[in-house]
Order: sequence, then structure tokens, then C-alpha cells
Amino acid sequence: MSIFENFFRLSVASLVRDRILYLLFSMALLALLLIPAFSTFSMRQVQELSMTLSLSALSFLLLVITVLTGASSIWRDVEKRYTSSVLGLPVSRTAFVLGKFCAISLLLAVVSVVFGAGAFVAIKISAASYPPDVPANWVNFAAAIAFDYLKYVMLLSLAFLFSAVSTSFYFPFLGAISIFVAGSASQEVYEFITGSYGKTFAPVAKEVVKGVYYILPNFAAFNLKAQAIYSLPLVPGTLLLTLIYFTCYTGIMLSLAVWSFSRRELP
Amino acid sequence: MIGRIVFGILLCSYLAVIIPFSTSLTDRPVVVKLGTLPDAELLQIVAGDQRYLMAQYAVVKVLFYYGTLVETFNQKVPLQPEYPAMFRTLQTSSRLDPWNADAYYFAQAAFTWELNKIDEVNEMLEYGMEHRTWDYQLPFFAGFNSAYFRKDYAAAALYFKKAAELSGNQLLANLSSRYFYESGQNKLGLDFIEYMQGHTTDRKLIEVYELRKRALIGVITIQGAIDRYSRSFGKAPSRISDLTAAGVLAKVPADPYGGTFYLDEKGAVRSTSKFALAAPAQQPAK
Repeated sequence: MSIFENFFRLSVASLVRDRILYLLFSMALLALLLIPAFSTFSMRQVQELSMTLSLSALSFLLLVITVLTGASSIWRDVEKRYTSSVLGLPVSRTAFVLGKFCAISLLLAVVSVVFGAGAFVAIKISAASYPPDVPANWVNFAAAIAFDYLKYVMLLSLAFLFSAVSTSFYFPFLGAISIFVAGSASQEVYEFITGSYGKTFAPVAKEVVKGVYYILPNFAAFNLKAQAIYSLPLVPGTLLLTLIYFTCYTGIMLSLAVWSFSRRELP
Repeated sequence: MIGRIVFGILLCSYLAVIIPFSTSLTDRPVVVKLGTLPDAELLQIVAGDQRYLMAQYAVVKVLFYYGTLVETFNQKVPLQPEYPAMFRTLQTSSRLDPWNADAYYFAQAAFTWELNKIDEVNEMLEYGMEHRTWDYQLPFFAGFNSAYFRKDYAAAALYFKKAAELSGNQLLANLSSRYFYESGQNKLGLDFIEYMQGHTTDRKLIEVYELRKRALIGVITIQGAIDRYSRSFGKAPSRISDLTAAGVLAKVPADPYGGTFYLDEKGAVRSTSKFALAAPAQQPAK
């Protein structure tokens, strides 16, 4: 069994033992049970509202899991001296970081698939009470969940980077949340600045905003909620570019996390 | 021991304050309860991937408030409806999620009949048509507004044609001419109310439509009596009591909005309630 695989298995085992996750899963189950009831608040689009609620709840759940598990991963192991005992053995720090990252990514994937399946049932129940004008497009629904998952894997890589250089919980935790908010808004701000409104801005300010836009992760590209809720067509070219963007950005952030953790002096 | 006493005092204080606390929240001014949303552009930036949820939340908030209007009307409680804030919230909602059908449906339901905001609603429907390109109901609503309220039959015909193309129902294309030349506009109004009533799940809205239907049936009944009177006597009646006196109308129908029917200077049937949910003394100036 390789070192990476060992770390992966150990990380999965420690995640399964985490009690906070059980609390989150209970809340997710409650959310799924409430979706058909809340969907009746809509006058005309009960199915669409149940899909909106499902995707929003999943997005929030993945955000909480990503931030909590990602921000406390490496930092907590250093604090508990777990790294000192494990990394004293002839094992690489790269395998340690990647093993933990893949374990949390797997957890996010499992949560996405299980919640997605539960949401499918909840949406079917909701739609039965008021037949929709346009039938649900389940391919789009699955694509929206898949890209939401990728978004949070990307955020996880940033949380790992912050966690690898941090000596406390707060920096990776608040850093991940700040990056999430900024990355979700960056596309809107960029379009706002480069549009007609941006003419009132100084050219230097515009260039600074553009620079920050290219550095921040662009989470807007992963938002396929409208396509799922209203069965709008997906654009394969944009999706392919988004996948390439995801691979590059996540890869770079993970490389930086591994590099900084490899250079870090452990107690 | 001291800890228990403090806990007991806190618990008693909580029980004492919870009822007045919730009452004071319920009695907050309408504007505070309905709230004012920031500009849609700002909300788009802040809301991120939760913008669709936020848009639906805004519509539901307006819908709940409208429900309280219907309740207070039924209980004869005078209340000045906060219609401008409601409409602004709906506009923000449609900017956040331009595909949300609820925002357009509710704007059509609440802002045309009583408030006569036809141009504003049609502008919103036009915006919706740009996004909900498959939905025949938006041009159908806009066509009805143009024909029934604006008497702009040319514009209505274009909307109905678009609705017919989207729905595949060619009857819609002939709506304006069929209704206006054969049955009159009140019949169009009645059919439209029944259509809207059958396409919502909201009980309060269904109640409002029932109110409108009864008011319109009252108008149609009086209008029929006016036609019979004119044919018999060769002139139009000057007041509604002429109709009962001449025996062409057995009884003047009651206005479900609480007003009294009368004939205006052009001989058209009107009501002192102006068919509005607001209490008569507090009706907004037209």
C-alpha cells in the first residue's frame, strides 16, 4: 500500500469520526424533508422553487464542510503534534497533503451525490403538487451539482494553502470565507467596472480591479443554477473551458500548499 | 443557589417579554416589515450563487404582505397599502432572477386591476419575455393589458400573435377581435380572471380574483340592463335607479369591494370603491 493511500485512508477514517459532520448531515436531511413544504410558497413555479432550494441548500452545505474541514486540516495536525510523529517517518509531505486533500474531496463528492439523490426525490414530490410548464432537465441538474462540487474542491485547495502556512485556525477559516465571497462576486464586479459604469473610474483603479479579478478564483463560472432550474441550454465550450480553468487553478493552489508545507519548520 | 435564582428570574423575564416582543414586531410599520432591498446590481454582487433564492424570497415576502392586505380588507381594517415598495421589490427580484415566473405573474395580478400601473407592468413583462422566451403567458398578459386597460388593440394583437406562436394555440391570435367585436371587453375581463384564477396555488390571490369576478359580474349585469333600457326607451339612463324603476333590473348588485355602483358622466358603470382593496377613506389618489 503506498504512502499516499495510507494517508488517504487515515484521513477518511478521521473524517468519518468527526461529530460536526453528523450534525451537518442531520441538518441536510431536515432541509430535504422541508423542501416540498417550502416549495408551495411559489405561485407558479413549484418545481423550480424546489430545485432552487435544493441547489442553494447543497451549496451552503458544501461551503460549511469545505471551510470547516479545509481550514482545520493541516493546521490542526501541526498543533496536535500529529505531523511531528508521522512525518518523522520516511514519508513525503506531498503525500500527506494530497492524501488529506483527496479524502476531503471524496467526502464532498459523497455529500453531493447523496444530497443530489435526496433532492431528486424531494423535487419529484414537489412537482407532483403543481405540474411545471417546462419539464425538469435532470442532465442540467446533475451538471449544476457537479460544477458546484468542483467549485468547492477549488475553494478547498485555497483553504489548504492557507492552512499550510497558518499557525492558527482563524486565518484559513476567515481567509477561505473571504475568498469565497470575493470569488463569487468577482465576475459581477469585473463586468460592472468594464461596462458603462466603469467610465467614471480612474484608469489605474480599473487596472487594479482587473488584476485582482485574474488572481481571485472565478466561482461565477461554476454556477449553473439557472440552467438547471429553468432548463436553459448548457454551452459545452464554456463548460470545457471551466473544467480546464478548474484543473489549472486547483493544481496551482495545491502545488503552492505542498511547497509551503514542505518548507515549513514543524515543532 | 444564586445561579438558580438568576436563571429563574431570566426565565420568568423571558416568558413575560416574549408576547409583547412578538406583538411589537407584528405591529411594525409596513415599510419596515416589507423592507427596502438595495439595487439589483449591488445584490447580484453580494448574493453570489444564492441570487435565485434571494429573488424568490423577495417575491414570497411581497406575497405574504399582499396576503395581509387581503386579510385586513376582509376584517374591514383601514390600511394604506405600500404598493410602491411592493413593486420596487418585484422589479429587484426580476433583475436578480429574470426567469422567475412568480414575479411577473404577481405583478400582473396585483398592479393592473386596482392600481392601473399598466405601462410599468407591461415594461416588466417585456423584460421577462426577453428571458422566458418559451413562456406564452407573458405576451398573453401584456396583450390583455394593452387591450383591456389601454384600448390599444394594435399592440394587443402583436402580443396575442406572439402568445399564439409560443403556445401553438391559434385562438389566442384572434382574442382581441373575437372578444371586442362579439362579446365586449367585460367578457374578456371575466375570461381573463378565470384563467388567472386557475393558474395559481395561492389562496389569497384566488380570493382576490373571486372578488374581482363578482365585481365584474355586477358591472356586466348593470351594463346588460342599460342596453335593454336604451333599446326600450331610445335613450341611456341617467342613473342606476332608473333601471330598477323601469323594471329592466330587478335589484342593483352589491359591490363586493364595499362601494356603491353609479353611472359616470359618460354613462359607464363605476363604483365608489374604485374596486380597490384599500379602505374607502384611505384610497390612494388616482
